[in-house]
Amino acid sequence: MAFAIVIPLYIPLGLPIKPRPMTKAAFNAVEELNAGDVVLVSMDLDPASTAELEPYYRAVILQLKRKGVKLAFTTLWYQAPPLVERWLRDTVDVPIAPGGTPGYTGLPDRAYVRNQDYVYLGFREGKQNIILGMGADLPHVFGGKTDDGTPLEDIPWMKNIHGLSDFKLLVLVSAGAPGAKEYVQFAQNRYNLRMVAVTTAVSVTDLAPYYQAGQLLGVVAGLAGSAEYEVMVGRPSIGVEGADGLNTGHGVVIIAIVLGNVAFFASKRAKRKKS
Amino acid sequence: MKSTLPVMLGVLVGCYMVVEYFIPHYAVRDVSAHVLEWGGIVAAAAYVIGGINVVQVTWPKIRRRESDWGYKVVLLGSAAIMAIVGLPWRSMTGTTREPGWAMRLAPSPELVRSHRARVIVEAPDDVITSVGPRMVAGPKIVTIDPGEIVLKAGRRAVGYDTFEGKISLREGDVAVVAADPQMAWGANGRVRTWLYNYIFAPCNATMFALLAFFVASAAFRAFRARNVEAALLLGSAIIVLLAQAPIGRWITTALPHLSDWILDILSNGSRRAIIMGAAVGAIATGLRVILGIERSHLGGDA
Repeated sequence: MAFAIVIPLYIPLGLPIKPRPMTKAAFNAVEELNAGDVVLVSMDLDPASTAELEPYYRAVILQLKRKGVKLAFTTLWYQAPPLVERWLRDTVDVPIAPGGTPGYTGLPDRAYVRNQDYVYLGFREGKQNIILGMGADLPHVFGGKTDDGTPLEDIPWMKNIHGLSDFKLLVLVSAGAPGAKEYVQFAQNRYNLRMVAVTTAVSVTDLAPYYQAGQLLGVVAGLAGSAEYEVMVGRPSIGVEGADGLNTGHGVVIIAIVLGNVAFFASKRAKRKKS
Repeated sequence: MKSTLPVMLGVLVGCYMVVEYFIPHYAVRDVSAHVLEWGGIVAAAAYVIGGINVVQVTWPKIRRRESDWGYKVVLLGSAAIMAIVGLPWRSMTGTTREPGWAMRLAPSPELVRSHRARVIVEAPDDVITSVGPRMVAGPKIVTIDPGEIVLKAGRRAVGYDTFEGKISLREGDVAVVAADPQMAWGANGRVRTWLYNYIFAPCNATMFALLAFFVASAAFRAFRARNVEAALLLGSAIIVLLAQAPIGRWITTALPHLSDWILDILSNGSRRAIIMGAAVGAIATGLRVILGIERSHLGGDA
């Protein structure tokens, strides 16, 4: 298994990646935004899930910055804040794909300025309570301040944000609970929210019914979905590189299942012959 | 009274939170916002109680040298280190100093003639200073156009203070900008960030990565077509596994369609049934708590 995952990182297979309808729907929901719209990005994850979720995060942030939207970041996971801070420094404070980036086919993005183009609201403990609180009175939940203490009133575009329903879109980077599922169950219908989500591959079946019901506009499924999203955004990167490992890893699991069953039936046959 | 008061509180708050859903008046929403805030405070306080509980459970085992007591030392030691480095020591001890300053000096006639201004940056080599649109590393002399200049300085590594300021320069002005940001302590401090990035994050990712090996091992040892149901499960698993990776489409374009049918119709149908069942169960449990019938959350003797 180790070789199956590591070798393709150095010798890429380069199999074609074709986006699924769920991924396309998530992409289109972001494409419908206009410059100046305000989007909430909820980063509910820990370092364990970065391999699956980080490629999508980078691709969607590039797409959002290209659209010129204002961003508000928050997290419901206590393990997340240092990770979120690092990702903000790496992807929002600096351009992800400036002009001349090799292999990039889209428009260049620019560096966003903190508390001007984006805000980081920080972490609040309380799980579903916080989602409900953000729905009713978002500034109250965060004490009227961003994570670095800047009053929300001083940021002109945040003055119009009173609750979750004031965001044009919610982008949920969700590794488990509390995350996309709780946003759907506690806030989506009540505040009629437009939401897209990325989740780890094991959690996709949890969110798929909400996508079918139209409560989630799109779902990006784990590393495979992230790779598809990178292709759609026009900047193949760590997700596409990892997709090769996914191919060979899944192949090894299938071979293990087949071999296990061959051994099982062979031993069964040998026992029958003996008796 | 010991059990009646909590039950009454539960009934009151529970009923209110149900009713407020249907009353879109700001006064009602204000009260529920406060109730939700209390919920957050209680959840945060639970971490403190959890911390005390960990010490109460593990310390006696360490003292008695019970089996695996060494791991418990690591647990308590790690928790203590993260708690200590997470405190804002400098602001607690009052040893905070300004990360930088800027000062105007006497104007230079040579610069007046060229309609320019000059900024002398005094900073260690690992400090990046931005003087208006220009960014310099370490000590440098920068000649720029006059006007209001935005100054920023920070170290290359994270977890240090940053200096931000403005200075107004006229033609011929010379200014000194000195920056020497100190190491920060607390939530975004250097030590805590380092421990998170280089110890917690790799350990956390390693635990999740081990799942791939467990899955491969379990697939070989336990995934057997012992009967028709197991064979159906096995077949579905192989189809979905292949289709979830790009290799599925490469083998045949029918595989993703078949996988989508399994997930959209069979899996989602049963998943929806589970969700509905769980929701009905949650409503029943909620009603039992609100009506005071369910009292197990109040403790054994309630």
